[in-house]
Amino acid sequence: MSSPDFKQNYFELFGLSPAFAIDSEQLAVNYRQLQRDLHPDRYASAAAHERRLAIQYSAFVNEANTTLKSPLKRAEYLLQLAGMSREEISAQKVDGGFLIEQMELREKLESLPGLVDPEPVLEHLVDEISGDIRNHQAEFATAYSADDLPAAASACVKMQYLEKLLQEAEQAESELLD
Amino acid sequence: MALLKIAEPGQSPLPHQQKRAVGIDLGTTNSLVASTRGGRTEVLLDAQGEFMLPSVVSYADAAGPVVGAEAREAASEHPADTLVSVKRFMGRGRLDSTEEAERSHYRLADNSEGMVRFVTASGEISPVEASAAILSVLEARARETLGGDIEGAVITVPAYFDEAQRQATKDAARLAGLPVLRLLNEPTAAAVAYGLDSREEGVVAVYDLGGGTFDISILRLHRGVFEVLATGGDTALGGDDFDAAIVRWAQELGELGQLQGGQYRALLALARAAKEALSSAESTTLDLARVVPGAAPLSLDREQFELLIQSLVKRTLRACRRCLRDAGVDEVDNVVLVGGSTRVPLVREAVAESFARQPLADIDPDKVVAIGAAIQADILIGNRPDGDLLLLDVIPLSLGLETMGGLAEKIIPRNTTIPVTRAQEFTTFKDGQTALALHIVQGERELVSDLRSLARFELRGIPPMVAGAARIVVTFQVDADGLLQVYAREETTGVESSVTVKPSFGLSEDEVTDMLQASYSYAESDKLARQLAEQKVEAQQLLEGLHAALAADGSALLSERECQALHEKMSALAELLAGEDLPAIRASADSLGRASEAFAARRMDRSIREALSGVSLETLDKRMDKEPGQ
Repeated sequence: MSSPDFKQNYFELFGLSPAFAIDSEQLAVNYRQLQRDLHPDRYASAAAHERRLAIQYSAFVNEANTTLKSPLKRAEYLLQLAGMSREEISAQKVDGGFLIEQMELREKLESLPGLVDPEPVLEHLVDEISGDIRNHQAEFATAYSADDLPAAASACVKMQYLEKLLQEAEQAESELLD
Repeated sequence: MALLKIAEPGQSPLPHQQKRAVGIDLGTTNSLVASTRGGRTEVLLDAQGEFMLPSVVSYADAAGPVVGAEAREAASEHPADTLVSVKRFMGRGRLDSTEEAERSHYRLADNSEGMVRFVTASGEISPVEASAAILSVLEARARETLGGDIEGAVITVPAYFDEAQRQATKDAARLAGLPVLRLLNEPTAAAVAYGLDSREEGVVAVYDLGGGTFDISILRLHRGVFEVLATGGDTALGGDDFDAAIVRWAQELGELGQLQGGQYRALLALARAAKEALSSAESTTLDLARVVPGAAPLSLDREQFELLIQSLVKRTLRACRRCLRDAGVDEVDNVVLVGGSTRVPLVREAVAESFARQPLADIDPDKVVAIGAAIQADILIGNRPDGDLLLLDVIPLSLGLETMGGLAEKIIPRNTTIPVTRAQEFTTFKDGQTALALHIVQGERELVSDLRSLARFELRGIPPMVAGAARIVVTFQVDADGLLQVYAREETTGVESSVTVKPSFGLSEDEVTDMLQASYSYAESDKLARQLAEQKVEAQQLLEGLHAALAADGSALLSERECQALHEKMSALAELLAGEDLPAIRASADSLGRASEAFAARRMDRSIREALSGVSLETLDKRMDKEPGQ
């Protein structure tokens, strides 16, 4: 499968400067404009090879948008642009306090099936995790703009942990209640 | 003075000739077809003036299938030969279907592999064939109303449909001889029907409760761009479950005992009528004597009915909340109701309360999906050159691969915008391993045994290496219809393999061909003539597209030599088109297609640059829009 050579990084593609705080309105506007021109539906009656190319371009634009739209993915991407590999990011140490908090949150999650009415507890848990995620996003933004990559990577790892936990909480919700 | 326009020889002098395109809502309970004529999009009526075609196909008579109301009337007489709610079986294997089939009193063939089949008086029938029979009736209706063959159709599917169900829907259209422009998610279609007319902006939730499925989608609408933010739902929850709840209640309270197939169908019909009556009346009566002679009538009031369905409605609301969270929005500007089951007052009240909004239902919830599909069909076929509409959809379920220990690795998570391409690297786990078995799965759980198996294929010819040395990149590509292709490539040697995913519970290419042949009894020569005609059309399209592109951008983006090379290949292909040599035309078109790819890529690259320089204008008037409020 040949694919077009996309040299631009995702920030350049949308005309944004590479930073954790981005203008999400501008991202959305530029994203829609690019898809208006490149989406395969625009090539519905074009020749097969051109449709294939449109799928690849459109997929690239989608990937770029997905990456920049999500705070966690954007943080990972910024670290990668700064030269850190995925492995280097996940090898970053986090403090013991954070790990203990994680275990407590996880215990709460695991105790849910034994409760008579798990719904309000679960809702509270989801709110708590979401709040923690926002705190670590702020931590990342500060460290990244101060060029402190190890600290930024550490905040990023915490965001990863919490996102995973949030997903598990959502999975638990559909299993417990439906 | 206006200048007179003269068309180039060979080009159509009527650039705005309308093509016949339709939107089809292939529903669990009813199916509809709609089309745009003279600027108005309407559902098309049958000879009796009805717009809904009951999705019921009767195979009781060996002379051929009977579709619609007539088939539904035969349901209690021939329960096993009359297929209702066949959509629930699309893309499903036999094991997945036994419970459902038992409820409906169908006989299943015992093929343990491939899609489920029903044993009927007319032989074994797959859900795809039954769906094709429904599509054929709608196609005939459209052909009569629009005065000619249908040139393109957009067919809707529940957003929650998986790969196998989508592929089965496409196969059904192929079997019915309908050219499919696009599969469109039902909620997106509904949003189009509302959004385009009212030039709606903002975040919209589409709550779609049909006969057999529940879908919830959250979309952001902005100047003709419909961006699906998240979608969720339940493929096995719908108004039919409301009917079933009434049936269970009546069976128990009326002490009806064990029911035969025909009796069950009769009770189901009573239950449905009661449910419909309760949408306006406060109470209704089930005449159980029509099921079991001598049984006393049973009265059902709205309060009791609401108790029966309460937990089902709550299930839909929980799915809504999850979907909102996935979409990353706290509130919506509008809620759109789709599907006949949203006529139930409890459903309306619960939705209004949950979203803190009075839901929109100005367009008939039964018609809205077909109308949206017809609008999209009209645009895709090119009838609205200025039609500024773009749909950005998502995949409803995660796609992944089986890894060691029966675990699944997600490659593309659900709610990812399509089209999408994602690659993941794998390696061998044994010394000297020369092949890699890939098992593609769909769903959210971690264990492969809990997931839907989509396809298996093998990458062979890996040169023997020590374990962990091979670098195998597996690429998943999902197109705008939500259909998947998977490629695998060993990076150190370049060994490649690919598969267009034909789901495990789908029909094989051979089966589809056999069915096509059975229905049209093609002779071998007809098949060739058809292939030749199709290839010629495609080659012609390629030439026309390139002519236009070269005229517009050839001198700007290509060197003289590149231009020359393309022109030579184009003349060669044009010459072959006068003849009948299928392999030569195919080879020449392929070669031209490949040669022109770099040119196409340069044009798209330039689009990217131009798009963004144009964007600053949009951003500017966006700011101006905001000004008064700030």
